[in-house]
Amino acid sequence: MYKLQIIFLFLISVSAFPQATKNVIFEGKVVNSENKSLAWATITIPKLKIGTTTDIDGNFTFQNIPSGTYEVTASFLGYKSLTKSIEISIPVTEVNMQFVLKEDSESLDEVLLKVTSIKSEIEKKGFAVNVIETEESSFRNLQTNELLNRSVGVKVRRNGGLGSSVDYNLNGMSGNSIKIFIDGIPISTYGSSFDLNSISPAMIERIEVYKGVVPGELSDDALGGAINIILKKDIGNAINASLSYGSFNTFQTNFNAHYQNDKSGLFVKASGFYNYSDNDYEVWGKFVRNILPNGRYDYVRAKRFNDAYRSFGAITEVGFKQVKWADKISVGYTGSNSYNEIQHGAYMSIPYKGRFVEAKANVFNLIYNKTNIAKGLDIDFHGLYSNRNTVVNDTVKYNYNWFGEKSLDLNGNPILRPQGAQQGAPTLANIDRDIFSFRAGLHYAINNKHKFIVNHLFYDIARREDDEILSGLQRNFIGTRDLQKNVTSLTYEMRLFEEKFKATAFGKYYKQDIQKMDPVVEDINGERVRVEKDFSKQISASGFGGAVSYLIKPAFVVLVSAEQAVRLPSENEVFGDVGENIVENAGISAETSNNLNIGFKAGLYQVKNHKFSFAMSGFLRDTKDKIVRRTQSNLNDAVQTAPFENLGKTKSIGFDAELNYIFNNKLDVLFNVSKFDTRFNSKYDNNGNVLSLYNVQIPNEPFFTSNLNVKYALDSFLQKESTLNLFYNIQYVDSFYNIWVPREVRGIEQFQVPEQFIQDAGLSYVFPEKNLVLSFDVKNIFNKQSYDNFAVQRPGRAFYLKMNYSLSKL
Amino acid sequence: MKNRLTKLASYIFLIGLTGATISCSSDDSPSETPTQPETESRWFTIAGAIMDKTPGNGNGGTVLYSVSEENAQDPEFEINVFENGYQVKSQRTARLQSSADGSTMFNIAYGGDIGGEFSKYTVEGENNFTQTGGVVNISQYAGTSPRWVKLFDGDQTGVAVSVTSPQVNEGDEYQYTRGTASVVSIDMEDVLISRNSSFEIPLTSEEEKEGYHIFRLDVPTLNASKDKLIIGTWMRKTDPETGLTDDTDYERLGSKSVIVDYPSLENPKIITSTVGEGDTSGYRSFNSFLAEDGNIYQATQRDPNGSHFLKIDASNEYDNSYALSLDDALGITNSYVESWRYVGNGIAYVMYTHDGASVSNFNSGQQQSFLARVDLFSNTAERVDLPYDADMYFFQYQGFAVDGDNVFVAVSPVGKDGNIYVINKVTGAVTKGAKLLNEPGNHFIGIF
Repeated sequence: MYKLQIIFLFLISVSAFPQATKNVIFEGKVVNSENKSLAWATITIPKLKIGTTTDIDGNFTFQNIPSGTYEVTASFLGYKSLTKSIEISIPVTEVNMQFVLKEDSESLDEVLLKVTSIKSEIEKKGFAVNVIETEESSFRNLQTNELLNRSVGVKVRRNGGLGSSVDYNLNGMSGNSIKIFIDGIPISTYGSSFDLNSISPAMIERIEVYKGVVPGELSDDALGGAINIILKKDIGNAINASLSYGSFNTFQTNFNAHYQNDKSGLFVKASGFYNYSDNDYEVWGKFVRNILPNGRYDYVRAKRFNDAYRSFGAITEVGFKQVKWADKISVGYTGSNSYNEIQHGAYMSIPYKGRFVEAKANVFNLIYNKTNIAKGLDIDFHGLYSNRNTVVNDTVKYNYNWFGEKSLDLNGNPILRPQGAQQGAPTLANIDRDIFSFRAGLHYAINNKHKFIVNHLFYDIARREDDEILSGLQRNFIGTRDLQKNVTSLTYEMRLFEEKFKATAFGKYYKQDIQKMDPVVEDINGERVRVEKDFSKQISASGFGGAVSYLIKPAFVVLVSAEQAVRLPSENEVFGDVGENIVENAGISAETSNNLNIGFKAGLYQVKNHKFSFAMSGFLRDTKDKIVRRTQSNLNDAVQTAPFENLGKTKSIGFDAELNYIFNNKLDVLFNVSKFDTRFNSKYDNNGNVLSLYNVQIPNEPFFTSNLNVKYALDSFLQKESTLNLFYNIQYVDSFYNIWVPREVRGIEQFQVPEQFIQDAGLSYVFPEKNLVLSFDVKNIFNKQSYDNFAVQRPGRAFYLKMNYSLSKL
Repeated sequence: MKNRLTKLASYIFLIGLTGATISCSSDDSPSETPTQPETESRWFTIAGAIMDKTPGNGNGGTVLYSVSEENAQDPEFEINVFENGYQVKSQRTARLQSSADGSTMFNIAYGGDIGGEFSKYTVEGENNFTQTGGVVNISQYAGTSPRWVKLFDGDQTGVAVSVTSPQVNEGDEYQYTRGTASVVSIDMEDVLISRNSSFEIPLTSEEEKEGYHIFRLDVPTLNASKDKLIIGTWMRKTDPETGLTDDTDYERLGSKSVIVDYPSLENPKIITSTVGEGDTSGYRSFNSFLAEDGNIYQATQRDPNGSHFLKIDASNEYDNSYALSLDDALGITNSYVESWRYVGNGIAYVMYTHDGASVSNFNSGQQQSFLARVDLFSNTAERVDLPYDADMYFFQYQGFAVDGDNVFVAVSPVGKDGNIYVINKVTGAVTKGAKLLNEPGNHFIGIF
């Protein structure tokens, strides 16, 4: 009885947005009147022009079914075909549907249909994972990074407005231990011009955030977790476009068109984006001061003046879907370009003028996948070639104040920057990367209970550098860098006790080859000759892990996952990156971490008009040889550049909790809280004494955050059949220090980032025809000083207006 | 909300705790209660350096604590700088100086958002340091990690120096590598920048063609007639064949200093020694001193034949007839002066290391250090008898306090307790002073 109630819940929920393309997994089973499974029965969804056959246990699965109402037909030799209508709507939790029909042979057959949202399916596998569905947000003035930042256990730390550099913290793990993927391919393949700053939520189907334990299919050395961006998989014929404009002259536009020929399976997709912002928001406070010629401070309120950002790009794809020899085969091209001015270094106390980074990338890809290539065997392949280029331009040699004027000395002359240019020595560094990236997977299901997956990732990056500002002589002696990575994983999945028990076990093997060539001069037969010297470093490592989930009661699932995770030093960490101010460290070694998550998800429960769900998860990250950016070094410390190094040990312990409450399907309240304590874990000095920093918080990491998100939907507001959605979000970040604090001695308060409450509000109006959505957002309503990083102020109050138009025909 | 409650609770707890501490303090040993300095007496400020990720690197911030002269000299008195101190403004190791009488601390914050910020604190005992006279920021002139010292002119002036990253000339043929130097003087009484200048300092064209250049400037010293500053140099070499920094064991030039007019800070000129071949930049504190004989004595670092003391005479030129090799004077090889202080009558206290010194357990690149009493006039030196330890090193050491005939040093091995030592500069006698309670990973970088 209870189960039926949950099913009912799902069926009455109503989509608030038009052209819902949220996709679900649709599973079912065909049995005859004696409850015997019918293998090789045919299941079709005529509207979507797709079909499949049941396996030996009578099970069938459709991936990626958009929401909507469908006729589903089951047919089997000797039996009469059966057609039944099913509605797949939002939000999906889980449904079991049972219907009966009479037959020629007077026997009764049953087709059991089950619909699970991909979100629910993934979240209940046992991993500590957030699945962020972007559809609703895509109609609002929200950036992908904002969505991530609101998600439980995720802290996105931005260095400014649109386009600024970003660091992701998942349960206390950050920096390069977090890997970002686009459709399972490392995002570095696409380059900084096609990153989470430029991709709008409208282009994204969903975002999966794996915390600490990463499934084998995402084969990379993601030690602290992974963020996998799943781009939209369109179906049918559709066009949608959006245009957003707001404060700081910020434009964000997006266009997407998809055509599919029903007969041939041919499809063509074209999409594009353009983002621009002056980011000239006002900054003030103790970090914003002009230094007078006599060295005294003049505290000012000023608009950022060297912070503009522009990115644009296009994605095109052509291929066939649902043809005999492939579920999908396509070739595609993604081109992108960005221009990003840099207002300051690690702290905003010194404004820069004229420093900027340009990036562009051309990416070609080939996708092939087919299910049931042999019985129970699926194959998928994704290969990319990318050429990306980054130019760092920093040649302006004077100091500037916050009004963008040259700082003058006591004699009235402009003052030179200490290192010759804004951030360091003058540079026109030009970095060119050629990347090949292949990912291949083989899925073999012995039956619906046992499944094996083999995955392999090959990644090859060749880096060539030049710096036009250097003399011809020096340019002749710039070396080259190559990195090759192979990651193989084997995964075993098990589903027992009517799918109440799910277990995943995986092993991963990593191999990394780094080659470096540096030209030198050598004596050969008495002559001084340029000789290329090669160095190489090979690192291999292995790791393993698993995830278990058990559905104790309907709608109450316990999740446990663990991994011995490995992270190999990246190309940048080994060889450095001028644009990022990273210095070379060829001696760096791999980082390892024992990660554990234990949690549960309860709900959705319903009492009358109230629905609620609750999830909680505790975690442990025990990391050794942690790779972090060195913040401080003994020598050569006049420059704001630093290498990455193996820090020793850290330990993060904490928890996440998320509560969702829905009233009458109108009011939706989501509250989450996350505490991640990352502490220095090297305990003893060489004399066996406990170090004073043992168990002390790592500096400059926020460790307590919370988010409250409220949505209220008003139907038929002003116009019949329209919907008005009201949104409100408040984010809390507790104060933290940017220095080691073994204890709070006097004077320590000047190193503190104060606690923050940042509030946003918005509304969206869905017109009756459901084609047009208008939305309006106010961010940081009370114009508070907002900091993700110490001494780097984020934008104050801002207004945005967005228009979305979509048209689709399935 | 929860947070506010937590805060409230912790305040209540704190108040309770304070009450408890006060009520208990009468039971404490009398040595725990610092006595106020009497007239004629002064404060002594001890600086402790907190580790950052690796024990003994001292980069995690700097903590100050001041005690009376009586307490500083009392071997029974225990001082816990790290527990009770005051965190001075500097994200990394602060660059500290003090007034001659110990009543004022001068600090330039090193690195971070406030890097280059000069501030002045009145010393009021224990962790009471009151910032006075406003702040002045020299980062535009000298960077956020500036090199500076005070001049011995009655604590009126500090001078910071810097060089922009040296650049190789344009074109395909190597000619020179040069940076632009900046010198800035700080009026420490009014807390203002009083003067600045900026210039290129080319070496001779032969030296430049071979790749030599000044990579860093440090430790300016005022001469006897108070009309010139002598600035130490750290030399580097470019490989003229590649245009890249030469990291081989190349032949070094004679030790060099840059001389500028004072107070104008203009008219730069380079002088070169024929005695020493090391750099003259010191590391974290003074590296040359004006003696009563009107000469400036300067130590060298990275000298192929071990550190030397060089003499710059009243005409502001190296007096190459004077040579004091620390190797010879102490009978060691490849000595390296880390920090030193001239205390009068030709006597200097010198912190150094040398080949064969034990390697620290904490940092394979760091050798044990020692303290020597050096007589610059008679060219003799002897090691001061202290409880040395492989983990006792002084490369970050910044502060010797000189008070009358007494020279104070605050030393400890990394992570172990240490002591203040009081040395009679006339007799050389060493007396153990107050105990410095240390914490694993940390060490002390000076007493002021």
